[in-house]
Amino acid sequence: MATSPVSRRDLFKRAGAGAVVGAAIAHTAVAEATAPVRKHHWGMVIDTRRCVGCEACVIACKIENKTPPGVFYTVVTKEPLAGSTTGKPVFMTKPCFHCENPPCIPVCPVNATYKRKTDGIVVVDYDRCIGCRYCLAACPYGARYADFGDEYDLLPMAGENVSPEYKQYRERVPGQSPIGNARKCQFCMHLQDEQGTYDREAGRWPACAKTCPGHAIIFGDLDDPESEVATILREHNAVRVKEELGTEPSVYYLL
Amino acid sequence: MEQDITRRRFLKTLSAVGGGAAGATVTAATAGVVRGAEGPSPGSAALERRYGREAGEWIASCCNACGGQCGIFAHVVEGKVVKIEPNPWNPNNYSNISTDFFDNFDPAIGVRDGSSICPKGNAAIFSLYDPDRVAMPRKRTNPEKGVDIDPGWQEISWNQAVEEIGAKLRTIRDAGHPEELLWWSEDHSFTHPQQDFCALYGTPNYSNHANLCDVARKASFKMVMGDERPLTDFVQSKYILLFGWNPTSAIKWVHLPRIITKALENGARMVVVDPNLSDTAAKAQEWVPIRPSTDGALALALGHVIVRDRLYDEAFVKDWAVGFNEYRRLVADATPKWAEEITSVPAKTIERIAHDLATTKPAVVDVWSGPGQHSNGVQGGRAIALLNALVGAMDRPGGMIIPDKRGSKWSQASPEKPIEAPRFDGLSDLPWGHSSGVYGRGFQRLLDGSGPYTPKAGMCVFQNLVMSGPGSTHVADALKKLEMFVVVDTSESETARLADYLIPGTHFLERYDVNSHWVTWSAVGLRQPVVGGESQASSKYDFRGGIFGQMAEYEFVAALGRELGLKDRDGNDFFSIGAISREPIVSLTAWYEEQLSNELKTGAPGKTLDEMKALPGAVWVDEKGTAYEKYAAALKSKLVLDADGTVWDKPADDASRKQVAIVVDGVLFEKPEADGGVAVGRIIADQAWFTDGDKLLDGPKLEGKKPKQIGYAIGGTDPRRGFFTPSGKVEFANAKFADKSDLTGTPVDPVPTYKPRDWQPDAEYPLYLINWKEASHTHTRSHNNPLLMAIQGSNPLRMNTATAQKLGLADGQEVVVESQYGSTRAVLAVTNAIHPEVVGAQHGFGHQAFGKVARGKGSAFGDLNRMAFDPISGQATHKEICVRVRKA
Repeated sequence: MATSPVSRRDLFKRAGAGAVVGAAIAHTAVAEATAPVRKHHWGMVIDTRRCVGCEACVIACKIENKTPPGVFYTVVTKEPLAGSTTGKPVFMTKPCFHCENPPCIPVCPVNATYKRKTDGIVVVDYDRCIGCRYCLAACPYGARYADFGDEYDLLPMAGENVSPEYKQYRERVPGQSPIGNARKCQFCMHLQDEQGTYDREAGRWPACAKTCPGHAIIFGDLDDPESEVATILREHNAVRVKEELGTEPSVYYLL
Repeated sequence: MEQDITRRRFLKTLSAVGGGAAGATVTAATAGVVRGAEGPSPGSAALERRYGREAGEWIASCCNACGGQCGIFAHVVEGKVVKIEPNPWNPNNYSNISTDFFDNFDPAIGVRDGSSICPKGNAAIFSLYDPDRVAMPRKRTNPEKGVDIDPGWQEISWNQAVEEIGAKLRTIRDAGHPEELLWWSEDHSFTHPQQDFCALYGTPNYSNHANLCDVARKASFKMVMGDERPLTDFVQSKYILLFGWNPTSAIKWVHLPRIITKALENGARMVVVDPNLSDTAAKAQEWVPIRPSTDGALALALGHVIVRDRLYDEAFVKDWAVGFNEYRRLVADATPKWAEEITSVPAKTIERIAHDLATTKPAVVDVWSGPGQHSNGVQGGRAIALLNALVGAMDRPGGMIIPDKRGSKWSQASPEKPIEAPRFDGLSDLPWGHSSGVYGRGFQRLLDGSGPYTPKAGMCVFQNLVMSGPGSTHVADALKKLEMFVVVDTSESETARLADYLIPGTHFLERYDVNSHWVTWSAVGLRQPVVGGESQASSKYDFRGGIFGQMAEYEFVAALGRELGLKDRDGNDFFSIGAISREPIVSLTAWYEEQLSNELKTGAPGKTLDEMKALPGAVWVDEKGTAYEKYAAALKSKLVLDADGTVWDKPADDASRKQVAIVVDGVLFEKPEADGGVAVGRIIADQAWFTDGDKLLDGPKLEGKKPKQIGYAIGGTDPRRGFFTPSGKVEFANAKFADKSDLTGTPVDPVPTYKPRDWQPDAEYPLYLINWKEASHTHTRSHNNPLLMAIQGSNPLRMNTATAQKLGLADGQEVVVESQYGSTRAVLAVTNAIHPEVVGAQHGFGHQAFGKVARGKGSAFGDLNRMAFDPISGQATHKEICVRVRKA
């Protein structure tokens, strides 16, 4: 097994060819047999009227998850609406939508990416991911990024780069995962407690929502009728991006 | 106990450690077939304890990634900062109005719906650990100076740096000309020890950043309402009219995006007047593109309609304003049609906005540095500020609020002998000059030798004068004239390249400060060092040390003060003596801690430094909250008048009371007239007051003392707070303004008559060039931060689609931008989001130095400008440039 970042890039290029598709069938059978009960359905309502396009969420996410150059678990789009004459942009932060029917999952040849049955979060198992990037291509929202092993140049006293993702606390080491893997937003899942819940008051809340200057990112359990997100969805007309694809995103937008 | 509460937010979920073991089991059982539904498998509990959210400490502090000073928590693990998060106890992170803050506040957790920090604060760790930081003092070996010339740096010890710089400063001072030291400082950070140093050294030439920023606005509002920095109550407003301000993006105080979007959610209408469709204009219901610098004309036309149609707040104008008839005459001719010609804003748009503004309650109008950074910015801003008086927005909910500025208390050290030399920049020549000085005029005098003397040394702390002063090359040439130029900075900036000594600065996570927050009631936050702690062994001065073991700026200044043996009026070694203990203190850090402790203890918080550290979020917030219509409040004198005519500072039952005056025929004397006593006040409404004319003061006006104004005797008999203007009321006009002349020799106009700015487009240079700020960067300071460069890595020049078509230019094309003073290259962004006669870009890019990430990204436009400043306030006129644009 090659360990240098360069050879992992080669791996990216070659990996797709020999993908084993049959595993998906076994996956379904076993998963159904062992399926835990859905306890939560984590999701977001993003109020574009409150988003000021500052990208604090982008930076807070990068620091929280210690993502390398070129990897963004959320981005902010600043596009004018179709037909705009002034060029006035609509600001919109765009994390992974954690779709109920995620197109990124069936294309994975090694079952490295899947949707957690208990709470709907779409995750990547770095130990399994072979870096083929089928999932990057399959995601209609561009929410996945490849980790090419690039590094930020910081002083030695910044210390080792340890990401809390999936509570794995991996030190970033050349040639090792997640370098070479597909990466994506996981709703800062490492901040969940052992019951799989978040605690906003304790700061255990997705980094983007926690820092948003416009308070535009509202996070919570879509299945909990008392939650802020569920209340908003009852009371407002929210939309989802590319609804027509049937992906059923767990992230809604207020316009 | 308080600390426990503070930490609750971060400690509550300790039980979470080690969760996920079950998931690991599932994974193992199905390995090779299917992943565990709860996976991916977590690491060991030991890893979580070492690196997780409960590891290390969360230390409350204040950000200084810009001058906004918002509250933060720094997560420090094994001596390293790993994350910065919002501080929910600090109102600066949430709202500038106390009800909005306290309604959502829980003492145990701060604001319930969480607070915020902006991208610059989030990214600040990358500036702390920037590999291009200056770690050791450096001495220049190459006598030839230029931004693009290698200084030939030689690293020297802290001892050598302090001794050599101290020796040069001593020579200048011993020769009897301490005024030959010029000093430039940032305006919000560790300014007090620098001002103390200048005072005790004997130079009047302490200047700071504010005159590059917003002193035009300060002058405008001071002329109108006697307060130089009122704050907008967005959250309660229903109609918001902004001129050339981008508060949701040029964030500064991170509460701004929240209170503005909240207002919009509550049904407010926001109209943004700006040549550029700023990110704030993008949030507004209406963007009004305007020709740069013509905002004053638009404001007069709005006034015209409001007065013509009698839509103004007649009661407020009658009771609390003067000069309305003069203003009425001024706006009589300022018709919308007239303004349309000047501003390019259609007359019918002006009519509509005027009606909406005057009939929607409450409404508020604000202006910042867009119109302000022009040669006509002060009077234009004044016309805009006056709209608040017309619509009754002054100090009322949803309007323009006079903030309660009580914070930490500091008074400048008094020197052994008073400074007699005039300021080098001739600040007092400006009728509304600001204490921050006039950078441009100082540079001009330095360059052409036209000043009252020849400065020999310069000290530049936390400033990048070359890139931030208009006329970059001229600024650099001026600085080259100094015999010794010292720069204190974290980075080798363009300015630092010209230095004889480059002294490492600190990142805000390595130092102390006290911040009186810019909200409408009193709140004070503490900044404290969270990393570092080992000073350079080579120094003879004891200090805490940043991550390189370097001195903080205040410690360097104090070390120089000790080196020079600077004494105060009482003969004390000011930079050694503790401000509270009055005993000599060895450690420079401990000396500064006592300074801060004294400022906090004697100021509004009334707490020591250690007590401040123990407060939740390390922030003190006055429970009294925002007060409105303060001008109308009747005042009661705190002085006690005895029947025998003696005046005391405290009631008779207070043993510590002192006699402060005696009364003779209704006049207060500080001591009997026969003993040379001076009149310091008079009896008004049967109460004793210190006065200056009809102004009410908090102390006697005597030589060497600067009492604060607390109110006004309206009509000479009615003690009220009033407005701190000469009349005690809002001034639509003031005939006495004409007694003062601006720098061009023109008398200051008693009313804000519209005058075009000096530099106008012509056939050769037909386009206006402007610049602005956005959330992604701070001035010229943040461009070596790879995270901020990832969200905004350059500053393409915006040009209107129609203009680009006319010039045959295309989006993405490289162009040359030329003015009569200089030229630069830029990449064009063709858009409809800018006025057709205007090109513009985000300020701060185009570094030649500063670091590997910053260098060569985007364009700097400073060389296209002159070293120009407005003649009333001294505001640098960054936005007054005319250019032509052609293919590169």
